[in-house]
Amino acid sequence: MAGDTLIAILILLPMATAAAGLAVKDQLRRPLIIIPSAVLIAASLMLLFQVLEHGPLTFTPAPAWGSVILVLELALLAYFVYLGVVRRHVLVLGLGGLQFALFCLFKFAWLPSGFKAQPALHVDLLAVVLGLVISVVGALIVIYGLNYMDNHERHLKLSATRQHIFFFFLVGFLGAMNGVVFANSLLWLFFFWEITTLCCYHLIRHDLTAEAEQSALRALWMNLFGGVALLTGMTLTYQVSGTLSLLDLTGFGPVGPVLLLPLALFCVAGFTKAAQVPFQSWLLGAMVAPTPVSALLHSATMVKAGVYLVLRLAPAYEGTYLSALLAVFGAFVFMVASLLAISQRISKRVLAYSTIASLGLVVCLAGINTGLAIAAAVALIIFHAVTKGLLFLVVGIMEQGIHSRDIEDMEGLITRLPVISGLAILGMIVMLFVPFGVLFTKWASIQAAATPFSDLYPLAVVFLALGSAAGMVFWVRWIGRLISNVSAADAPPAEPRPEPWRSVSYLVVFSLLAGAVALSALAAPLVSSLINPTVAAMGYSPALDTAGWHLATPYGFFSPWVLFIIIALALLLPVLLVRIRPEEVQPVYLCGENQPATGPTFRSIADQATPAQTGGIYWTRTFGEQSLNTWVNGAGIVLLAALIVGVIV
Amino acid sequence: MGLVAKARVKSPWIVHYCCSSCNGCDIEILACLTPLYDVERFGVLNIGNPKHADLLVVTGPVNKRNVRVLENIYNQMPAPKLVMAVGACACTGGVFHNCYNILGGIDKVIPVNVYVPGCAARPEAIIDGVVLALDKLSKIK
Amino acid sequence: MSGFDWSVGLAALVLAPFVGGLLRGIDRKLTARMQGRIGPPIWQQFYDFFKLIGKARAATTKGSLVWIWGYLLLTMLTVFMLFAQQDLLIIFFILAFAGACLAFGAFSVRSPYSQIGAHREIMQMLSYEPILLLAVVAIFLQTGTFKVSGIFEYGQPLLFTLPLAFVAVLIALTIKLRKSPFDISASEHAHQELVRGVYTEYSGRFLALIELTHWYELVLILAFVALFWAQPLWVGVLLALAVYFLELIVDNVEARLQWNWMLSISWAAGVGLILLNIIMIEMFFGNVLRL
Repeated sequence: MAGDTLIAILILLPMATAAAGLAVKDQLRRPLIIIPSAVLIAASLMLLFQVLEHGPLTFTPAPAWGSVILVLELALLAYFVYLGVVRRHVLVLGLGGLQFALFCLFKFAWLPSGFKAQPALHVDLLAVVLGLVISVVGALIVIYGLNYMDNHERHLKLSATRQHIFFFFLVGFLGAMNGVVFANSLLWLFFFWEITTLCCYHLIRHDLTAEAEQSALRALWMNLFGGVALLTGMTLTYQVSGTLSLLDLTGFGPVGPVLLLPLALFCVAGFTKAAQVPFQSWLLGAMVAPTPVSALLHSATMVKAGVYLVLRLAPAYEGTYLSALLAVFGAFVFMVASLLAISQRISKRVLAYSTIASLGLVVCLAGINTGLAIAAAVALIIFHAVTKGLLFLVVGIMEQGIHSRDIEDMEGLITRLPVISGLAILGMIVMLFVPFGVLFTKWASIQAAATPFSDLYPLAVVFLALGSAAGMVFWVRWIGRLISNVSAADAPPAEPRPEPWRSVSYLVVFSLLAGAVALSALAAPLVSSLINPTVAAMGYSPALDTAGWHLATPYGFFSPWVLFIIIALALLLPVLLVRIRPEEVQPVYLCGENQPATGPTFRSIADQATPAQTGGIYWTRTFGEQSLNTWVNGAGIVLLAALIVGVIV
Repeated sequence: MGLVAKARVKSPWIVHYCCSSCNGCDIEILACLTPLYDVERFGVLNIGNPKHADLLVVTGPVNKRNVRVLENIYNQMPAPKLVMAVGACACTGGVFHNCYNILGGIDKVIPVNVYVPGCAARPEAIIDGVVLALDKLSKIK
Repeated sequence: MSGFDWSVGLAALVLAPFVGGLLRGIDRKLTARMQGRIGPPIWQQFYDFFKLIGKARAATTKGSLVWIWGYLLLTMLTVFMLFAQQDLLIIFFILAFAGACLAFGAFSVRSPYSQIGAHREIMQMLSYEPILLLAVVAIFLQTGTFKVSGIFEYGQPLLFTLPLAFVAVLIALTIKLRKSPFDISASEHAHQELVRGVYTEYSGRFLALIELTHWYELVLILAFVALFWAQPLWVGVLLALAVYFLELIVDNVEARLQWNWMLSISWAAGVGLILLNIIMIEMFFGNVLRL
């Protein structure tokens, strides 16, 4: 199939599916969504092979499409203003109005009529890798959403289903995201960018509770702020260089200092999408939405658009002040988000902070801007999408099982819902430990940060080290809560509840986990076949050597598959070989006051049986949002200001 | 004597439980750990956790309240294990004999291997008791 | 990896328990001497170990036992990799996994003492992890490689240019060796508020496994210290022993601290010192990667 067709399928098929979903009956929804999802996955794979074989594809649709997009875009911008009016939200109204005015001025007054940024779409390896992540992970999440939403609506006891609206935005999102990563013309990019903002807004407010409305509006105004930044950057770019093509910006090495300001503005736009400090609150608020939305926002779409833009522009600001400061900013976000996550006991908020941290790491790597750093960034995007998608879906299933998002309610879940808890634990181990993919990227990023890419590198590397230790704390504690188990001598073992582990939801989770593990063990072939060529295509020299399927940098050596085998044996052999005979089981130590009951129980005052309760420690006074947020946001704003001011000066 | 049996004699870890003693014997037990007597030279550690201990050292008579604690601590110790009753009260009930709440010496509740009499038992006597306990330990197969 | 690396690594795996056990025995002897006691024989740790092996089996949950095996095996892997001169970053990442296994083991039984111990254990990890990682980075700035082999190829002792990083590593070591003032996750002497923290629910041979892991950990840590004077290596060994002696003194004169003290000391002093050292490298000693 021709590349053009594939691109068209990847962008238009989700949108067409979304539109069709509005019309068809509920019974038809499953086939309507599953078949295009499969097509999407196949098309993105085919596109990957095409680009790998024949190099980047460029594609400019017929001029009529330009007019269609212009009309749609104006409608969209007007809709944002309308939302500001209807919801009586000053910031949305102001930013939406500003955006609308600026766009009209730019498009109709400043830009000569008939101006075209050629080509409109340019699909190189980076875009296709992102497209693959969006299509594969995104499609899997959408499929998972089918079951989830049925349960969700049953739980809410809705009189009429609202699933058609939900899937309209959910599926349409994928098309918009593919559009963002494939666009070369900034005008097209802006259009798709605004569609993701729109989809995000509607998905967050899907449940229509007061909290959901509020969170959705916050997400909207923050992303509109990003939209204004993007639009301003676009205007400046055009004024300075007369081009609106990303290829022109990134194709010729570092840009002149005058172009740095628009690049900085693009990065700010990326930060709003990627929920970097101080814009993190919208992503945390977005947790009120049904879980497939969170999963999609965090793994495949939305936030990835932000870091994609920063990463895409990396060659343009290589070696500049902007680059150095981006590295420090990203590393800072990585650290503070990890620290804040320590204090969180709502599972989805922990995941949200961990997403922000990972995206901060990507921004940091883009700022470090060496071949190794960019390779690590691309790898992190892939691994993070798969693992984070997996973890969100797992949490969604748990939530519907225990009707709580609180980690404290997940104590000992491994005995109650063993399959899903096992999947969660494996997913977190994949997220956290050697030899899995996310840690490979951490290994590469510490190496990249330690090479003196700028005078500020000691700061970046210190932030990275502190952040990665903080990441350890909240994941380990969460796993700890899940596996916290009662000794059989204290209480009869809890009967595991039946789990529908053959259902579609579980299958999606299984396949994501299998994907994450396989990609981790085969990290070297992944690097040599996909990541190294991507890095090379962006104009960097690939720094990772993959001889013998080991990963070697000029400074270090890591063999994923060897370590994978050894560590798997070290953990699996005990699981298989350790046996406890029933007579060996002992109650826990409670100072001799044990009383056999339904759990560890001790005798307290007046011989009352008191259960020995255990709980997670969250160190809220030290790491809580209340004590840290002021500092974190303040420092984030200072860093952003330093970014903009420094670029101007 | 096998390696494990030899090691057993060389490393008796004690858990000390005070039933309803007047604390006289407890102070003497702690005295054993001080530089003057230093029982650690025999490998003795006061471990404070029955799950790690080999030797249960009990002071004071057992009463109706703490009998279950004594039993529980004894049961949580993994075999091979020994019990040492330190002081007249732990051995027989001592001055608390026939009190309304007292069951008597701890051998009313758990098997005792070594009796160390005295009120309070002197550290030398306690160390003697430990050595006797070690002798008994070495005979455990 | 050459055959030589393999044989050194495997030899280390075999010998480390003997060296580690003996050093722990010397530790107890010296501690006793500092307190004016005679103290146990230096073989005491081996007596304890074999005694524990011979105790009756007892357990609470299967999970706790499985994770302890993971703790031992992963720590052995790090010892092997350090002596086989592999990548230091990866070694410390695996060490972190091993440390997490210990915490998981304590987490997997619902016992108040082991749960609190586990939480404190991860706080300890939060304290020492950044110092170890940054120390590796500081070494990298001098040798130009993360591999242990690079340190041996590097001409002069690292201590000359990394004095502050070395001091920071000492702070991390006190935590990692579970010495006062930082023995907060499992008190060494077991009549404190926490009983035995993470070890509370283990007995018999599983306690012996933990002890064995500690020996491996001790060897790993002292070997890392020795790397600061790798040429000639015997000075490094003496340096490591001197450091161990210093840790004993600190252990004996300090009381236990709360976790927030530990965190602020290790982050402010430890990380601060390394940062200062990196700046010193940039300003005075010259960063090898810029040459």
